[in-house]
Amino acid sequence: MKHRFVTLSNILSLAVACFFLTSFLQQSANEQPPSTLRFPYKEAGLTERQAAAHLLNRFSFGANPGQVDEVVRTGLEKWFMQQMNGGIADDSLQARLKEYDAVNLSNTEVNEIYPRPIQILKMAREEGIIPKDSAKDADRMQYKKEIAQYVKQKKFRRQSALFRQFISAKIERAAYSRNQMQEVLTDFWFNHFNVSLTKKDCALFIPAYERDAIRPNVTGRFEDLLLATAKSSAMLLYLDNFTSSATADDVPSTNIERMRRNIQQINPSINDSTSNEMLQKLKKRKNNQGLNENYAREVMELHTMGVDGGYTQTDVTQAARILTGWTLYPMDNSYGGGIAKMIAKIGEDKLSDHGFVREGDFLFAMNRHDNKEKVVMGKTFPANGGYQEGVLLLKMLAHLPSTATFICRKIAVHFVSDNPPQSLVDKMAKTFLNKGGDIKEVLITMATAPEFWKKEVMREKIKSPFELAISAVRALGADIEQPYQLFNWIDKMGQKIYYYQAPTGFPDKAQYWINTGALLNRMNFGLSIASQKMRGIKTDLLALNNYHEPESPADALLIYGKLLLPERDLDATIKRITALLTAPSLEKKLEAAADKTGTVKRMDDDKKEEEIVDEAMKANEENTKSLKVRKTSKDNEGMLAQVVGIIIGSPEFQRK
Amino acid sequence: MVLLNFKGNDDDFTQLLARMSLEKVILITKKNMMSSRRGFLKSGALAVFGISTGVVPAFIARAAGTLKLVGPYKKNRILVCIFQRGAMDGLMAVSPFTDEYFKAARPGLYMSAAKDSRSSPIIDLDGRFGLHPGMRSFEPLFRNKQLAVVHGIGSPNNSRSHFDAQDYMESGTPFDKGTNSGWLNRASGLLGHDGSPFRAVSLTNSMPRSFYGYNPSIAISNLQDFAIQMKANPLAANITAKSFEELYDQASSGLIKETGKETFDAVKMLDKLDTKNYQPASGAVYPVTPLGNSLRQLAQLIKMDIGLEIGFAESGGWDTHYNQGTEMGTFGKNALDLSNCITAFWTDLSAYQDELTVMTMTEFGRTVKQNGSGGTDHGRASCNFILGTDVRGGIVHGSVKSLAVENLEDGRDLAVTTDFRAVFNEVADRHLKIGNEAILFPGWDGKKIGVMR
Repeated sequence: MKHRFVTLSNILSLAVACFFLTSFLQQSANEQPPSTLRFPYKEAGLTERQAAAHLLNRFSFGANPGQVDEVVRTGLEKWFMQQMNGGIADDSLQARLKEYDAVNLSNTEVNEIYPRPIQILKMAREEGIIPKDSAKDADRMQYKKEIAQYVKQKKFRRQSALFRQFISAKIERAAYSRNQMQEVLTDFWFNHFNVSLTKKDCALFIPAYERDAIRPNVTGRFEDLLLATAKSSAMLLYLDNFTSSATADDVPSTNIERMRRNIQQINPSINDSTSNEMLQKLKKRKNNQGLNENYAREVMELHTMGVDGGYTQTDVTQAARILTGWTLYPMDNSYGGGIAKMIAKIGEDKLSDHGFVREGDFLFAMNRHDNKEKVVMGKTFPANGGYQEGVLLLKMLAHLPSTATFICRKIAVHFVSDNPPQSLVDKMAKTFLNKGGDIKEVLITMATAPEFWKKEVMREKIKSPFELAISAVRALGADIEQPYQLFNWIDKMGQKIYYYQAPTGFPDKAQYWINTGALLNRMNFGLSIASQKMRGIKTDLLALNNYHEPESPADALLIYGKLLLPERDLDATIKRITALLTAPSLEKKLEAAADKTGTVKRMDDDKKEEEIVDEAMKANEENTKSLKVRKTSKDNEGMLAQVVGIIIGSPEFQRK
Repeated sequence: MVLLNFKGNDDDFTQLLARMSLEKVILITKKNMMSSRRGFLKSGALAVFGISTGVVPAFIARAAGTLKLVGPYKKNRILVCIFQRGAMDGLMAVSPFTDEYFKAARPGLYMSAAKDSRSSPIIDLDGRFGLHPGMRSFEPLFRNKQLAVVHGIGSPNNSRSHFDAQDYMESGTPFDKGTNSGWLNRASGLLGHDGSPFRAVSLTNSMPRSFYGYNPSIAISNLQDFAIQMKANPLAANITAKSFEELYDQASSGLIKETGKETFDAVKMLDKLDTKNYQPASGAVYPVTPLGNSLRQLAQLIKMDIGLEIGFAESGGWDTHYNQGTEMGTFGKNALDLSNCITAFWTDLSAYQDELTVMTMTEFGRTVKQNGSGGTDHGRASCNFILGTDVRGGIVHGSVKSLAVENLEDGRDLAVTTDFRAVFNEVADRHLKIGNEAILFPGWDGKKIGVMR
């Protein structure tokens, strides 16, 4: 049995090599649509405009005004290939992104500029700026002054400012990028390889994670994505692999001997049985702290094969042993103090001689690696495989048939339907395996399949709150001045982007998004953005209709329905609410819904001392733009805002 | 059957019933209201729900269909969980005050039970454990056996990271990060009372990890926000609400249509809620703090009998690395707030005590020894509080050995002797009658510690 597995895996790796070559050769061919690329929408009974609208619904964050026509003019297939290849010049987006320069920082820079308040206190104590024990009330003022001075001198910034920039940049990109498919895919793959700002340890490194591990690989080969995420600081910290090391059982016995000698040196009176006991305890603790299986488990369960992918708990443990030593290169003041000393001892230039591997922020720490033989899913990884066996493991996982099916189903769920047809998933998985996990090829297979164009799957997907907000901005041609305002709304609608705690990422199904509280907030979002009073978001409803004012609510409904929901059948909608909007007197007896907003002031979880540090860092920020308050819209705009708000909050606008 | 502001005569009422062709008529009344139909009618305006159109909320009608002739929500069991974020020092909340090792480990934090004039002593519960003086409002509840403590509670996973430990506790799977749902969401699903949009409500801004999952739940920090909001234009808001209602009613997707209907029913119900002028019952006074606000609003929801089964709130500030203080320090203020909020909640809901259980939880405890800055660092076991009439109260449950170094986990922390799942599962099983640990806490053997009757 084992023998067969080995043979199989050999064949597999040979096959992988072949596909690598094939996909390399094909890359240049992909620049232009292959002559065979044709979307079978006519067969499904769709017009070209309907098909273009469907493409925009699924491969962009929603159509801009007039964009359906644009796609038709370009040609559907050509638009699709351009979008997939990306790289369309985008000066206006770049200009918008200038404001968010912090997202371009390296992890090391981020770590220096945005330390946690607790780290600052530690540094200040170590440098003797503030006393070692905590501040007494009497010299509170003095203490405050010293910290302020220290923070100013070091130019520390608040982490929240970094996250704000990061979130704002995502919103701007999604709303305004001309390379829409790149943004949609970045969102998709980030969610697949989810990391979370809720975990403070990894939070600082998440901007670089998206920028360096996800974004460049969204249409590349799946194994590249997998490897890039595996080696990223954010993922190493988020799923704890950075601490994972060979268990004490695998620590050479010479080390145990050394520990025994140390103990007896410290206290010669300790007899052998006591020192043995202590060693056992130490060993037990080492055991507990040694192997960490979290990443190894999730890489199989969530990133590649899926929970039913055919692996066992033993495979998880074995994989975790292979990945021992995969950690971060030490940084000042925070990570890897122990490793830093060790590196200093070996000498940085001699690291590779000792089996260490450094790539940017990533470090393979040979001294933590479990060197014994491992077997994962029948494949043997011989002893002393070092860094390379981890790479081999991840490549093996990336190309398994169960991975192909799991990944392709997930892509189909995102782009086609909550319950995609099995026939489609099978086609995509076949391409995935035949083309060495080339994501572009998989997407082409999906988009050229008849299943993608079936009437049943059109409008079937419910937008996530993020997709809803961005599609509204795009449909209205709105100008975002303060993206963070949108973030707050998206949070209220149930999707606090970048803060999803579990490694599963947000569920990608309507059932998760649609519940009473969330639905109500979707309607309120529509009303708010259409009212032109949403702070930091500028809309000009009349401009959408070339400054022709609709004559009646019914007129407005007809015109703006078509503008905001191109190529949808809105007859029933319009009929149903026109009567309501034109006969408001009937409703007058209904009790007025009072405007009762007002939020509970929330107590901060942070400690007082940290707040002081925080305040001090505030001073280091450039003056944030003063809030630009829109003038209250005129009465006659009220009706239009109401109609547009109803359209955006309507069931039809929730679909994509 | 629910009628709101129904002021017509009996004939109108009969007609209305006929029109709705409801066979199963169910009266939902407030606790002390008469239960006969005639009495119900004569009471005139019954403003349980602010529904002026006289239409039965869809979820009430559905619940009526499934639950037959019992008031659909009146006797629902309710579990309210309070997560103390930051890791509460269980050894300070409920101190083993006679333990000499404990005293020695915390020279600056130790409080004695001896009465001296300077400060309030800790409250001797059973000769071995003493309650922090800030929690004095808990004492009567403990004495009359409604409040229980479980000491030495914690996670089998020894992570001392807030993130990981909270994550594991809230997902209910301490060794599996990939669990997508939270245990309270699963509990809500297992209760199986679909219908009310308010069956699981978290009084927080964002959905807590405990609530992640596919069973409908609501996260809202201010109930007043649960409305169609058009500032300064109430008339337009009504028309808009009506328009939305129509649109969602004609939606082709079952999910959207039904959720839409529930949403508007829920909005109408909350429309009459006045959170600003709310008068708690039995003279209860809620502290004006985030937790107090959360619990006050939860109490209002519970009193509406609209199907709340799982409530959730948070209490912050427990990560006391610095200046933990004794009676009225950082910890003391938190302890005072927590206990006063819970006591006010319990008093306010005195009419509901037979259906209600309140349970606190925290991700881990803190080091036995105080640190160099007058605080404590991340440890292992802590304690939690469970309050209810079906709780085996008046007892400090669990096992806490003397705090000699050899008894400590990793030589420094109070050892975890009770798996949090044992307690959570027992509460869910005995109070909510769930009895399905395979789904609620996969991988847990279902062992109980006898904290519930």
